[in-house]
Amino acid sequence: MSSIQWPFPSPAGVLNSLRNGVALRVRRWARKRQGIDKTTTKLRPGRVYILPTGVGLVFALMAFAMLLGSMNYNNNLSFILTFILIGIGFVSMHQCQRNLVGLELSFAGTDSVFAGQSMQFRIAITNQSKSARYGIRLFSDSEHSDAHDLQPGESKIFTLPVATQQRGWVSLDRFGIRTLFPFELFRAWAWLHMDLRGLAFPSPAEQPPEPPPTTVAHGHRQHDARGEEDFAGLRKYNEGDSPRHVAWKAFARSGQLFSKQFAGADTSSQWFDFSEIPVADVEVRLSILTSWVVTADRTLEDYGLRIPGKEFEPAHGDAHRRQCLEALALFDKDPS
Amino acid sequence: MKVQPLGTDGSLLASLPWTLGALGFALAPHLPYLPMWITVASLGCAIWRYRIEKRRGMLPSRWVRGGLALACFLGVLVTYSSVSGVGPGSALLAIMASLKLLETRRRRDQFVLLFISIFLVMSSLLREQYLWSLLYLLAGTLLILTAWLRMSAGENESARQSFMTGSRLMLYAAPLAIAMWVFFPRIATPFWAVPIDTSRATSGLSDTMSPGDISSLSMSNEVAFRVRFKSEIPEPRDRYWRGLVLTSFNGRTWTGSEPGIAAPASEQITVRGEPVSYEVTLEPTRQHWVFALDMPMSWTLDKTFMGPQQQLSRALPIDQRIAYEVDSYLDYKIEAELPALFRDRYTKVPNNNQRAAELARQMRSSTGSDGAYIEAVLAKFHNEEYYYTLEPPPLGSSPVDRFLFDTRRGFCEHYASAFAFLMRSAGIPSRVVLGYQGGEINPLGGHLIVRQSDAHAWTEVWLPDLGWYRVDPTAAVAPERIDYGTLDVAFDGIGASWGFAAPSKLLHNLSLTLDALSAKWNDWILGYGPDTQNKFMEWLGMQNPDWRKMMLTMITIVIVLIGAISGLLMLRNRKPVKDRAAILYQRFIKLTGMQPHTGETAADFAHRVALANVLESRSVNAIVTAYLDARYGPADDATLLRLKNAVTAIG
Repeated sequence: MSSIQWPFPSPAGVLNSLRNGVALRVRRWARKRQGIDKTTTKLRPGRVYILPTGVGLVFALMAFAMLLGSMNYNNNLSFILTFILIGIGFVSMHQCQRNLVGLELSFAGTDSVFAGQSMQFRIAITNQSKSARYGIRLFSDSEHSDAHDLQPGESKIFTLPVATQQRGWVSLDRFGIRTLFPFELFRAWAWLHMDLRGLAFPSPAEQPPEPPPTTVAHGHRQHDARGEEDFAGLRKYNEGDSPRHVAWKAFARSGQLFSKQFAGADTSSQWFDFSEIPVADVEVRLSILTSWVVTADRTLEDYGLRIPGKEFEPAHGDAHRRQCLEALALFDKDPS
Repeated sequence: MKVQPLGTDGSLLASLPWTLGALGFALAPHLPYLPMWITVASLGCAIWRYRIEKRRGMLPSRWVRGGLALACFLGVLVTYSSVSGVGPGSALLAIMASLKLLETRRRRDQFVLLFISIFLVMSSLLREQYLWSLLYLLAGTLLILTAWLRMSAGENESARQSFMTGSRLMLYAAPLAIAMWVFFPRIATPFWAVPIDTSRATSGLSDTMSPGDISSLSMSNEVAFRVRFKSEIPEPRDRYWRGLVLTSFNGRTWTGSEPGIAAPASEQITVRGEPVSYEVTLEPTRQHWVFALDMPMSWTLDKTFMGPQQQLSRALPIDQRIAYEVDSYLDYKIEAELPALFRDRYTKVPNNNQRAAELARQMRSSTGSDGAYIEAVLAKFHNEEYYYTLEPPPLGSSPVDRFLFDTRRGFCEHYASAFAFLMRSAGIPSRVVLGYQGGEINPLGGHLIVRQSDAHAWTEVWLPDLGWYRVDPTAAVAPERIDYGTLDVAFDGIGASWGFAAPSKLLHNLSLTLDALSAKWNDWILGYGPDTQNKFMEWLGMQNPDWRKMMLTMITIVIVLIGAISGLLMLRNRKPVKDRAAILYQRFIKLTGMQPHTGETAADFAHRVALANVLESRSVNAIVTAYLDARYGPADDATLLRLKNAVTAIG
């Protein structure tokens, strides 16, 4: 049996698209009104919005029914009960909004992840006031963080997961902070447009081809009594080098930063070359390179990376790994 | 259809006891009114549910719950033979709450439970309003609010903290509630009438009187009504509070059949002297009778009329405590003329008390006049061996005979019934009046308390020229009952036989104090209705108060108060905490002689400081680690101390 297409949009669909349209408009309006936020933002009262929740609406209905009942029976005690509840409603509206006002949010970085994993955006929230804040939660359009309380003076890191699909910059143009405290009668929230971003590395290929062969260079091992490695020389300071290895004396002399190099261990090194991978698809090549980098990093072998426009000499360590992966992530993309 | 049993994960374990506590507290005042099986079922459900949560077990399946619900619904139907009204209503509410427990798995269900608790508290207030009811409602609200906060409380939050937060918010809400309570306009007429509750028998007067059926008189100390006199308080022997009048006797039972209305009853009354003015605050009786001092001539209660036997009754049953003002005359005369038709009705007696009827005929013929006959009967009660007792032996099918000749013991009903019978048998029209007699003056409040134990029965006989004339045969037997009241008789009895009159008196004085408080409470809080509110508004200086003005005032005050509360909350927010970590860090920055750039994190700054080589990099590292721990880790004193030591080490 063939079904005939109903020519009109379903009411639910219309309602949904209407809601989405309104949400989009409100979103644009809020962004325009508030502008782009700094990475450390303190919530002013003017940007905390508040609306009753479903529970709040039921509560209001109940209070109204109780008021009618009290009037009908002219019962002064039940009037007292009703008015206390109405008073609680008013108070909790203000308490709910005040639960957010004055909180300071600052971006505390992301962990880089591979595309496909969810990226954790870390936001530090500081309560600089004398009153504790309860049930604070971060949320984005699709996800939300755990709820936490903030004691007076306390600062906590909230993590907001963002799904990643492809390599490159993952941005979080806006996120929100919300609370239902005290009685879940109202939801107070604020939108923040910090334009945060984090880098997603290409996802490592699941079954990469064998990496190119390793060349081994033997170091001259000259252990002293304490078993420390020998000082081999100075090299230009690179970002990520340990401050312990910075040659301060050389810095004092020349004003240039140098890192001390140590020798002694065997070094084996391999080159991962973008152009030598026999696969046409760029993304697949990047995935393969990524998985090689990750594997090599684990085995503590030196590796170098050559991609069009960039070349990294064989080395290892967190900084090197990061440089390589960043280069892979941003290959052919706007690096800013 | 496959029915999924529902699992629990223990996540409600922290909040469930509070929800159960709130529900139990809300349910408690209903239990005396509900059949026993509901109490047992509710308790069972609560324990069952708690054990499931504790063992992370399965909730009962939908079929089990459905079966239980059906069984309970039928149970209510069988117990009450109805499902509407306050009695079955609160029974259903109690059952709903208990069964809801068995499917409570999510927070939403818990909300439903708390809302039901609020309704239960409210419906218990509809039923009874005592001095302690306010405390009850405040405690109940606080408990419900705490349970509510427990539902969303973080793991580290103690129950005490939730309680404190709940109390704080309730404290903020209090001025709002008071303002709304005072100014919200009260209306006089209800929208709809629902019978409140009739399941528990009250110790008020009954509509009929059968001496000998009940073998002991209720000694209930419950207050029937309170009276505040505007003029001097009459003597105890003049304090006859007229209720209803019984006109027919079938040999066992006196009933108040109406012999028709000849003329508006109050027109048959002639009065002399000054009226006694007073205000009566009548406790709910669920009956129509309105009590007033013999003989009321004007009253302020709406829908209240004087019946053909000069009894006051209200068209609506008295379901709530009401107050009314009355002017009564102690010196009065009713119905100087009695039509022959009525004379027959008032002298009619059945023939099942032959010996008494015979006695009446003998005594009447041996006395010269009706007046002398009445005197003789009273003298018989007074001189012969008749006793006043609250626990007389039961009488059989000829109660008057048996009482007059055999048992000779009884209280007011027995004497009134026998006396009226003797009068009727001798051709003198007579009737029995039920009401209250006496009452106790509360020296603390200055008002008169009339209790259920002051219930009394007396007679009225009709004599030419005198009209209906009150004769109280009990006074002939036990004059102290009339002069001092039943309570004193009872107290003396107990005191004499047990030898602790003093503590009883002490207790009695205590109860008088409570009564005085109760009376004030009734007048000012429970009795705050349209009239009182108008008076209060005028006292506050409002010209011609009406509901618009009150609403406007209420809204204005509420807005101002909300502003004040908002300001208070803002003040709490604004006060910055003295961040000791930040102060120490500032000291460190001063020591470096460098300035952090805007937006530079502490770690970056430390890096720069380390590179600049102004301070030993190890101490810089120590300071920054301690600082970051203090700012973003658990703020404890140990980290702060570490930071302090690190900073002092370089300074």
